[in-house]
Amino acid sequence: MGQTAITMGATHGPGIEASPFGIPSRKLAVWLFIVADAATFGAILFAYGYLRVANPDWTRPFTVWPTVANGVAMTVVLLTSSVTMLGAVLAAEQGRKPAALRWLAATMGLGLLFAALHLREWLHMIGDGWGLFRNPLGGPVLFGATFFGITGLHLLHVVSGVAVMAAIAVGFRRGRLDAGHVEATGLYWHFVDLVWMFVFPLVYLMNVR
Amino acid sequence: MAGESQGGSRMRAYVAVWLGLLAIVAVEVGLTVAHVPAGTLVGALLVLAVVEATIALLYFMHLKYERRLFWALIPALVFVLVLMDHFWPDALRLMHQRLPGP
Repeated sequence: MGQTAITMGATHGPGIEASPFGIPSRKLAVWLFIVADAATFGAILFAYGYLRVANPDWTRPFTVWPTVANGVAMTVVLLTSSVTMLGAVLAAEQGRKPAALRWLAATMGLGLLFAALHLREWLHMIGDGWGLFRNPLGGPVLFGATFFGITGLHLLHVVSGVAVMAAIAVGFRRGRLDAGHVEATGLYWHFVDLVWMFVFPLVYLMNVR
Repeated sequence: MAGESQGGSRMRAYVAVWLGLLAIVAVEVGLTVAHVPAGTLVGALLVLAVVEATIALLYFMHLKYERRLFWALIPALVFVLVLMDHFWPDALRLMHQRLPGP
């Protein structure tokens, strides 16, 4: 199904007012969710910035190896998953169902790899004594609270995205869902990637010793 | 067949955008490793992150092709994010009130 066909689906049938932006309601709903969620992440990152600037002796625990290297790997994995998601959307629009499902599987695999890398890093840090309210280096505890809070919320979005993608893939394979559903899921996934573009520099790179 | 060919060219464009985003990440890491002063670093990282996000919004999320949606959503979001900037003077006030170390 091409972009035009999806857009035409925005007319809800005779007697019902057309979508105000010429897109299907589900896509508009996902965009509204994204805007609301962007404001949420924005507020959390602003709060982190406030604490970071206003607190004396802010702890900067990270080193280039292994933390930044791991963060770069996570970034590459997430950016790549956005491209595989675009492959799924393209294939679904063109009616190439097996190809769309393969791209979706690749995206889910990359999402799970990102989560695994993230959890490995968390476990390593927890093993070193870091916690929500613990700082093994003796400084203020706010670093752990902000780090685990922000990255945890993002990780929750990644895991939720993989779960939603699995449900969409099953529905798409059975013919219950169409290319528009894959596209709407793709929008959410790109947003998760977009948030990471701010989390990685601000929470990781700005805390390198 | 024509659709698949068109899809191939779109996919190549996406891969080019992906490579551009990876290049920006490389610049971010390079600035960090070079130990640029914190104020300069945070400014540069924020600018680069905004550039990355704009590219993702326009090309990956297709807002480049949906102008009405773009103008309906993004200015409102930017307005909200700008409103959140009002507490920086307080953060900076606290920063300048730091006691000298022992």
